[in-house]
Amino acid sequence: MVSKRFVAKRLLLLVPVLFGVATVVFAILHLAPGDPARLIAGQRASREQYRAVREALGLNQPLWRQYLDFLVNAVQFNFGRSYQPGGFGRPVREVIADTLPVTIELAVYGQLIGILIGIPLGILSAVKQDSLTDHATRIGALSGISVPIFWSGPLLILAVATPPLSLFPTSGRIGVGFTPGSDFTRHTGLVTVDTLLSGNLPAFVDAVQHLFLPSLVIGIYSTALISRMMRSSMLEVVRQDYVRTARAKGQGERITLMKHGFRNALIPVVTIIGIQFGTLLGGAVLTETVFGIGGIGTTLVAAISNQNYPVVQGTVLTFALLFTLVNLGVDVTYSYLDPRIDQ
Amino acid sequence: MSTPTESDVPTESRGLLERIRASPFLSELLQSRIAVAGLVIIATMVAVAIYSRVQMLFLAAPEGGLTSLRALSEAVSAGPTPVTDSRLGAGVEDRAPPGWAGAAPLDQQLFGTDQQARDIYSRTLYGAWLALKWGTITVGLSTVAGVGLGIVAAYYGDVTDNVIMRTMDVLLAFPSLLLALALVAIFPEDLGLVRAVAALTLVYTPRFARVVRGAALKVLEDEYIDATVALGAADPRVLVRHILPNCLAPITVQSTLNFGLAIIDLAALSFLGFGAQAGTPSWGLMLSNGVEFGLLSGRWWMSFFPGLFLAVTVLGFNLLGDGMRDALDPRMREAID
Repeated sequence: MVSKRFVAKRLLLLVPVLFGVATVVFAILHLAPGDPARLIAGQRASREQYRAVREALGLNQPLWRQYLDFLVNAVQFNFGRSYQPGGFGRPVREVIADTLPVTIELAVYGQLIGILIGIPLGILSAVKQDSLTDHATRIGALSGISVPIFWSGPLLILAVATPPLSLFPTSGRIGVGFTPGSDFTRHTGLVTVDTLLSGNLPAFVDAVQHLFLPSLVIGIYSTALISRMMRSSMLEVVRQDYVRTARAKGQGERITLMKHGFRNALIPVVTIIGIQFGTLLGGAVLTETVFGIGGIGTTLVAAISNQNYPVVQGTVLTFALLFTLVNLGVDVTYSYLDPRIDQ
Repeated sequence: MSTPTESDVPTESRGLLERIRASPFLSELLQSRIAVAGLVIIATMVAVAIYSRVQMLFLAAPEGGLTSLRALSEAVSAGPTPVTDSRLGAGVEDRAPPGWAGAAPLDQQLFGTDQQARDIYSRTLYGAWLALKWGTITVGLSTVAGVGLGIVAAYYGDVTDNVIMRTMDVLLAFPSLLLALALVAIFPEDLGLVRAVAALTLVYTPRFARVVRGAALKVLEDEYIDATVALGAADPRVLVRHILPNCLAPITVQSTLNFGLAIIDLAALSFLGFGAQAGTPSWGLMLSNGVEFGLLSGRWWMSFFPGLFLAVTVLGFNLLGDGMRDALDPRMREAID
């Protein structure tokens, strides 16, 4: 059982970390060069116009006041409006709400591929320790970690998505023939889910085709990490006394491995799956760039290039919050799988 | 350093081979096929890096052969240059599609040329120099910073420990590449790779601090530390002479594993446009070039070769790091995640 106290304690510990995270983000963007007011007002703005923009941004306030305002707004997930040359754009909250599901969808499919292939592969590798299969899996896994997404992505596109094969689309997450809003309604922002909910099967198939390669690229990396962890964890567990006892009482090898070995070996794997989710979110920036998918990663990159600071603040904080919450979820799952952690 | 009473005198007079044999870490490491494979790959890449650096500094390009990098960098500033390969004669540019002055592998040069007719072979080789040089600087800086913070946190404990490690926790709360991206924004754009190095150093330091703190705490449990303190040794002496040497193995493993990551992350920042400046033959930038100019037209060589070198180099460090971790004393192994 997970005690409520444990979860409450972990949640409380999050507060100072998130406070620190917000402070770091505030500091980073105040150290960054460039004058946002000048950027928005434009080079030709009159002194009055410029001053008005500065006031609208709160830049005329003392630094401590700006910091407090930022913290108060950040708690409400309010990062103001995005910058645009000549004025303000959409509220940052809307930008994040639009792009975050795109990234999460990719990360989840990538992670699923990793779990579905990585766990069986790791078990196989451990059961047949030091066999040819084991060596091949280990070297494959090490290579999988070493291959950067911005290389495996382009190579996959060149191999199967460009002529002569052209099996998959090269970019985007749904074909131009399907318009969100008219061909399918937005429920979740996840294109595969939305098309299914709208009952538009051709659109669903098209979305799956679009997402296949980018998910695969993330999945390769994820498979490599998970199979490595599964192997070493499984090897550790099968040396335990209770596994020997299970064998000694004449239980079949398969049941021993699955019932006593696998379940306990899964604990560290859950950790790596959680920790890796952060890496996947970071990797999403690269995957989205390669496959031309407009998720929160490409949004962040564009915002940094354009000195669109409210968007940078909002997206970076969102990423950090997600990452921290996933880690919290891992800790809770962990204590559920292994009640000793709780104490 | 002042008193020769320490037991280090006989150690230093021993031969290198003997010392390797005496060290369980090194002898086990050299028996690991994985680690040795990694060492071989890294040594090859270092040789490639030095070769291409020397070639760029001292050797002129042979006529019609591999273009030297100096010529390459001049070509970059001058814009697209006409191809002057004698085998193809003049008029190559006329046959090339508009905006594309490159050629496939073996048509021109071993690895082909890119959209500005730059030789991918020599650029890829020179990329090894850039990756290893900037990777070393990044890992070196974050190791020094992380080791300092980690040892101090473990030794002084209490408030010092809390202040240092809670700060590290905050930095660890960001996905690493994203923190690097946000940090890059602080530095002026014309710093090029330096700003990527600075950002990544800040990102990696907490990892080293955590590993070193864990290892140092284990060392601190040993009685000889109490004995040294009781004998009246000053803090810096205990830290540098007694704790640090006993944490070296986990530090080395962490550095090696981090080296591969640093090379990937540096390339990733360049790939996204926040690292090496345009025209630099860095692998990340070449890959971004390959996506921009080669992806949809099937010019696979623009992406294939720089990415292959990048992946193999990183694999080398991962193999070595993995072998090292296995060779490590299990007590210390726990400190590394």
